[in-house]
Amino acid sequence: MNDPVLSARGLRKSFRSGDAMLEVLRGVDLDVAAGESVSIRGESGSGKSTLLNLLAGLDAPDEGTVAWDGSSDTGARRRSGYLGMVFQSFYLVPELDACSNVLLARRILGGIDAAARSRALELLDQVGLAGRAHHLPSQLSGGERQRVALARSLINHPRLIVADEPTGNLDERTGNAVVDLLLGLCTSATTALILVTHNAAHAAKTRRSLVLTAGTLGGS
Amino acid sequence: MPWYLHLALRQLFPTGRRFPFFTLISTLGVTLGVALLIIVMGVMGGFAYETKHKIVDTEGDIQIKARGAIADFPAVVKRVESVAGVAAATPYASDTVMIKFGDKAAYPQLRGIDLDSVGQVTPLDRYMIVGSLDDLDDDSIVLSAQLAQSIGANVGDTIEVYSPLTIQRMGEDEVFLPRQVRVVGMLEIGKQQLDSSTVYGTLRLAQDLYGLGSTVHGINVRLKPGVNEDDGAARINAVLPEDIRAFSWEDSFSDFLWVLSLERNMIFFLLLFIVIVAAFSVMSSLLISVVRKTREIGLLGALGGRPVQVAACFCAQGFFIGVLGTAAGLALGFTALAFRNDVVLWITKVTQRQEVMRRFYEFSELPSHTTGSTVALIVVMTIVISTLAGLLPAWKAARLKPVEALRSE
Repeated sequence: MNDPVLSARGLRKSFRSGDAMLEVLRGVDLDVAAGESVSIRGESGSGKSTLLNLLAGLDAPDEGTVAWDGSSDTGARRRSGYLGMVFQSFYLVPELDACSNVLLARRILGGIDAAARSRALELLDQVGLAGRAHHLPSQLSGGERQRVALARSLINHPRLIVADEPTGNLDERTGNAVVDLLLGLCTSATTALILVTHNAAHAAKTRRSLVLTAGTLGGS
Repeated sequence: MPWYLHLALRQLFPTGRRFPFFTLISTLGVTLGVALLIIVMGVMGGFAYETKHKIVDTEGDIQIKARGAIADFPAVVKRVESVAGVAAATPYASDTVMIKFGDKAAYPQLRGIDLDSVGQVTPLDRYMIVGSLDDLDDDSIVLSAQLAQSIGANVGDTIEVYSPLTIQRMGEDEVFLPRQVRVVGMLEIGKQQLDSSTVYGTLRLAQDLYGLGSTVHGINVRLKPGVNEDDGAARINAVLPEDIRAFSWEDSFSDFLWVLSLERNMIFFLLLFIVIVAAFSVMSSLLISVVRKTREIGLLGALGGRPVQVAACFCAQGFFIGVLGTAAGLALGFTALAFRNDVVLWITKVTQRQEVMRRFYEFSELPSHTTGSTVALIVVMTIVISTLAGLLPAWKAARLKPVEALRSE
């Protein structure tokens, strides 16, 4: 059997809060198979973003391990090619147009060529922004910015996309459209997806729905 | 192009936007610093270059001197002229005299020159403004223009010359009359020190005044074009007796050249502070940029950018501002130098100080001379300082952890 795209074992994470230690994650285990979509819900402050940061290699657990495709290398170099990230606040670079924002992830991976430019335009077309490739983020709506961020997360053909409340700053209709688009793109590219969301309807659209409660993951 | 350089350029010059204010202000500071360095160093270089030029024009490339006077100088001149690389040599006698015209006196250097050979070594004819050196005989002199003006003498006037010998004999209770000489010309070299205190006469006149007999004080030498002065002096010394030595003009005026060099270096060092202050402005702008873009920096880390690359992005912005500011500063500086005399002329006309300017600064026009090495030094120093200005912001950006930067408000 193939290694899971992502495998986490016994993740623990605490933060200092005044004199006390606040234990946010208390031994989280998670496996995500290739092409699988997993949603993680939980109350505010339950540790969803903390978990996502550990899974994405942006932060180190106090205890436990994270492996991508069986390898514990979750450093920056590997992350650029293995993982795509989507954030609640889009995080587009304001000085770059939509196409350049999409290509930024590719540049970081190691330079761009004609094929990369072509793929960026193709992705923008897939997210419905073919005509806005050369618009700056300031000239795009919130939904359009998030769609640019989706295209950026897919430019390097990642094995896994982690999306941290990608609809948090969008209205319901736009949020639904973005989640549908995200799931559709992941399915067609056989890319695994971890979707952190508050929205039960969005979570229901993923193949597996988990809830983070009291620092541990459980089925919904 | 690496992503951090691409992003650095885009942050300085965003797509579809006007020149950003931060970039403009940062670049402007560097531009003004470089322009000022180019202008001041150019003018300082001009003063030094013109001064050196005048020294060589009036003293030759090499001066030959003895402990006392040089006896049998025709033989020495002949021997010197036989040395490879020597174009010509001319003897001279020079000392301080007192001249008197009416009730006005002055104490210039009277230099006796050999009319047959002086033109091949020191092109004094070039500086004659009235009369000609050909009009000189053993009973006449040529006055420097400002000296003539200060004692009120004109061409055709007769003035009295008292040499040190005259004064010495007067002290011995001997009756010794001053030498009466006619003024047959005036010259203006363009260097205040020479124009206010120099008199030229024939070698015979000077020998008589100084009691030299058939000896001279020294010999000036002109080298062929392209011959190095130090090499020329060494070759001449090889054929001269030990009590007669040849010195390149740089050796003869080494103290003066050292002072000139010290002045230039000090001014360069002081003006460099303008670039350093401009670099602080660059640093301040970039630090603000790091704070404003904290979440973007977090994004770059999340997308796989390494801290050293994030740091390079901000350092590169300092570098690009340095390059742009230097290029604009060079253009501005050289343009200002090109129009320097128009500006000075306008200022002196408005303030009616043309004569003061000439008297005080020794030159009637503001000279300028910029060497490639000076420009290279200014360019390299400015770009290095600007790039260093990006180091602190770069270090702060590199220290940001993506997870904390993304979470910042």
